[in-house]
Amino acid sequence: MKQEANVADKTKKTRKPLTFATTQKINGYVFLAPWIIGFLLFFMIPIVNTVIYSFNKVEVGDTGGMAMEFVGTNNYFDLFNTEVSTQSQQFIRVFTDENSDVLLNTPLIVIFSLFCALLVNAKYKGRGIVRVIFFLPIVLGLTIVTDMITVSGGGGDITAVATTATEESSFLMNLFTQVGFLPKEVISFIVGVISDIFGIVSKAGVQTLMYLAALQSINPSLYEVAKIEGCTTYETFWKITFPMVGNTTLFIFVYTLVDLFLASKMSEEIYAFAFQSNKIGVGSALSVCFLLNVLVALVIMVLILTKVVKLDYGK
Amino acid sequence: MASKTKTKVKGQSFGAWLKDKWNDNSITDPLHRTRYLQNLVFRIFAISLILGMCFTILYPIIKLLPMVLNDVEDLGNPDIVWVPKTFSLVSFKAAIRLVYGNFSIILWSLLYAASIAVIQVFISAMAGYVLGRIKVPGGTLIFFLIIVTFVVPNQALLISQYLRFKNFDIFGIFTALTGGPIDLINKPATLYLLSFFGFGLKQSMFIYLFRQFFMGLPKELEEAALIDGCGFYKTYFRIALPNATPTIMTVAILSFVWNYGDTYYTGYFYPEGPFAAVKLSQRFAASQSDTIVTAVQTWFDKPAASAFAFDAVKQAAVLIFLVPLLIVYFCVQRSLVENMEQSGLVG
Repeated sequence: MKQEANVADKTKKTRKPLTFATTQKINGYVFLAPWIIGFLLFFMIPIVNTVIYSFNKVEVGDTGGMAMEFVGTNNYFDLFNTEVSTQSQQFIRVFTDENSDVLLNTPLIVIFSLFCALLVNAKYKGRGIVRVIFFLPIVLGLTIVTDMITVSGGGGDITAVATTATEESSFLMNLFTQVGFLPKEVISFIVGVISDIFGIVSKAGVQTLMYLAALQSINPSLYEVAKIEGCTTYETFWKITFPMVGNTTLFIFVYTLVDLFLASKMSEEIYAFAFQSNKIGVGSALSVCFLLNVLVALVIMVLILTKVVKLDYGK
Repeated sequence: MASKTKTKVKGQSFGAWLKDKWNDNSITDPLHRTRYLQNLVFRIFAISLILGMCFTILYPIIKLLPMVLNDVEDLGNPDIVWVPKTFSLVSFKAAIRLVYGNFSIILWSLLYAASIAVIQVFISAMAGYVLGRIKVPGGTLIFFLIIVTFVVPNQALLISQYLRFKNFDIFGIFTALTGGPIDLINKPATLYLLSFFGFGLKQSMFIYLFRQFFMGLPKELEEAALIDGCGFYKTYFRIALPNATPTIMTVAILSFVWNYGDTYYTGYFYPEGPFAAVKLSQRFAASQSDTIVTAVQTWFDKPAASAFAFDAVKQAAVLIFLVPLLIVYFCVQRSLVENMEQSGLVG
């Protein structure tokens, strides 16, 4: 019986229809195809090329052809020994500045955005308006806007701004040293952070949004239980809120770190090397160093973080 | 503002309300009284904190207004700080004449940002759907690679990508067709190609967001659609995509805002294009200060305009640049902030 059916089938169709799982896979790859092509064209090949260029002396001909001459690690030595940045600084200095800046600001921005998210998540009248204002940094934080909104030109102006800033911070310094018990270095650090508060605010827009999303997804019954058991607000935060946003915290840390490195002036340096002083090899060496730097910073940060926050808490 | 957030009876003053509460029988015993005091202090602290934060965020904008509305000759006068002596729109006029012309550049930038946003949403949603929902061999590897592309800074790829676009060719196809690679720098196609192939501005993050969202979407919806005879594509376009509206909104808004303000892709790959952000950063580079001050002096007959005029014109230009963004932001912020727990932003 079965045999007959098969024979009848074979006369109609020459091949078996694809199984459901196979069609899903094929269609899945169709959907992923643009990304895979893009990955090869705009990521894989460029990154390999950059590494190759960094070990070569590259000359671009007028017709578009490239002449390469293998020079080993000379480009790297040149970069750190003889070359200077567009601001006439040693590159080792540029890198240390960049790293200390990013590694200090990342935790500040993350903590600050969690704090902002807690503020806009609480229930009070006028919360709508507060939310509108708190998420304005998504728009105001664009690099082009923050760069241009600050008063930079005009010699007189810059001194005027600088004097008011120092006056304010010296007032704060005095206040804290009089009242507080903290060492002066800590206070000057805090004061420095406070004076640059807009720098932090302007970079915390998206992070606040992500934290707010995470806070809203916490099951309200957890808070109910905590309240019935007599937890204070403080305990509730450390025992429920903070662990529940662990995954988001990790993601936001990574996002902030990458975002801060992206906003660095390194692209201008790389561009200047490659297309203004025609040293593609050295520029590529700088690219590779920068890339390794970001990855190392990221790995260290993630390793520290996985010790601090609990991932997949309660899942 | 402070008293408004309290639950007080209309017409009653804050002091009277406080006294009322204090004398209320329910809080006469010491424990309740301490609780009440703690609560009060906490509330005042929280309110001042919120107000302070709002002020910090708005301060740069507030500070701009007197600067741009002032007469350019009065700038730098120590007697005039917050209230302009004579209102004038010279800074705006200068900014329009220097950068915006007939505002077509703003329209082009908006159009560019909107079309890139559409492409990014479309491509990222497809990739995110497959990674979050469909089991394809190598899916985990692709997801890992997306994280890698997310953390690798664009700058590291700049030279190689630039040279690649300068002599663009896909596996030798163009050389075979036209006899040589084509130069794609200063062509809009470059930017659209990057977005279409998933490497536009922060596109890895968008794919991640879509993946997170589709992972959390109930499977039953798609199963029902499949049983009812929908194919893969019909299921995706009729079931999965309409349900992803919160994520689509979030990604579209972020993509629109970031692309409108982007100077990296536009500035390096299409520097002569009609992009307001690029033009702003070129026109108001610090080295242009003297030119702009001279221009203001001659155009508007303001011989006494000082170097402050440069700042005023620059800030007026930024304000004009921000207007469309702020309009968009105020229109969509509700959908951005509400129902966010579904939008895939949760890690």
